Amino acid sequence: MSMNFSEFKRLLGAEPRSGDPEFQRARHSSPEFEEAAAEADRFETNLERAVSIPAPEGLEESLTAISDLPSDLVKRKGWWPMALAASVLIAVGAAGLTWKMNPSFDSVEDYLAYHYRHDGEKLLSRADGASASDVQALLSGLNVSAAPALAGIVGMIKYCPTPDGKGVHMILNTENGPVTVFYMPDTEVTDKEMLAFDNMEAILVDLQSGSAAIIGPNAQLISSLYNFVQDSILPAPGNS
Amino acid sequence: MITEAGRQAKFQQLAEAYGTDLYRYAMWICGNDALAKDLVQETFLRAWKALDKLNDIKAAKSWLITILRREYARTFERKVPKFTDVDKVVVPDDRELEPDDRTEVRLLRRSIMKLAPKYREPLLMQVVLGYSCQEISETLDISKSAVMTQLFRAREQLKSQLQSDGVTGNVHELF
Repeated sequence: MSMNFSEFKRLLGAEPRSGDPEFQRARHSSPEFEEAAAEADRFETNLERAVSIPAPEGLEESLTAISDLPSDLVKRKGWWPMALAASVLIAVGAAGLTWKMNPSFDSVEDYLAYHYRHDGEKLLSRADGASASDVQALLSGLNVSAAPALAGIVGMIKYCPTPDGKGVHMILNTENGPVTVFYMPDTEVTDKEMLAFDNMEAILVDLQSGSAAIIGPNAQLISSLYNFVQDSILPAPGNS
Repeated sequence: MITEAGRQAKFQQLAEAYGTDLYRYAMWICGNDALAKDLVQETFLRAWKALDKLNDIKAAKSWLITILRREYARTFERKVPKFTDVDKVVVPDDRELEPDDRTEVRLLRRSIMKLAPKYREPLLMQVVLGYSCQEISETLDISKSAVMTQLFRAREQLKSQLQSDGVTGNVHELF
């Protein structure tokens, strides 16, 4: 027995994408059914568009990073900032997040090593270009700006957690290869201190506003960028 | 016995496969971006701790949804989330749409938030998560017939809202 129009409308309203053979046959059983099905399809397509919220950038990384976290951090309460510390990626403009000091880092060196081990290498391969406006937009959120020479060589830029809150992770595409810079607006460092972890070298830079760490494969390369970075990350106008 | 590397791989597979869907679902359920992120993170944290209990990977999605719903209920007991304007969270990429469709999509976003939870939740399970009526019935522990009624009424309310907002179309002919 074939489906009557009333039953058909009920199914259209309840499960319009149903693959039920009888329902599929009914869709083409008469012009009246076809018209109702077409209108339901149109509505359903818009409904599907409406619910397709883009996931925040970095969500997947922040989730997969949970399995990388030390077990003592996993057991903590209020661990979202810890997960972020491992994942570090967050969408530009994402609201409502609390950036907190991560108490698990005893030193800037610990933070740099942990942060870099998580995604430092991975992000180097993604440094295929960031617009100067993106660079300025992110930095202005932290009340600093970039000199054009620096903004012009940024290959990737994202917000990231720092030992004391929110900062920026960027990759500079220099003539001698990509170099990582973490900008830490609220972290005090010992200027020009050299650090090393794994096979990487880092130099800390005391800035007019906040601090930075330049991380690269050798001391000569990162030292050569010290003055450039110090002169290029400046307080935003009105914030000096 | 699964190795630690195997455990990590299994977990990462879940995060990659379901993270986005869970975020969308959480966002539409709670209407608050920060809470949605927190719910998804908490869900996956609990999933990581309890991963050894997941014997059938095919059941992973419903397992994660169960964790998320439980966590949301727990959160909701503590505080009623502040609903945000969905337009502040959704960055629409609807430039290719016809003006009428664009308007309808935007109105639908607002109208979904106004649906009562008993209509909104099964609708989102179907549209966001791709659940069948049977799967929704099992997850919500209500009859399949009740699920179908709720889904029908959810769409009916959305269409009524569109009509009252002046969106044209033939939707009225369906009811």
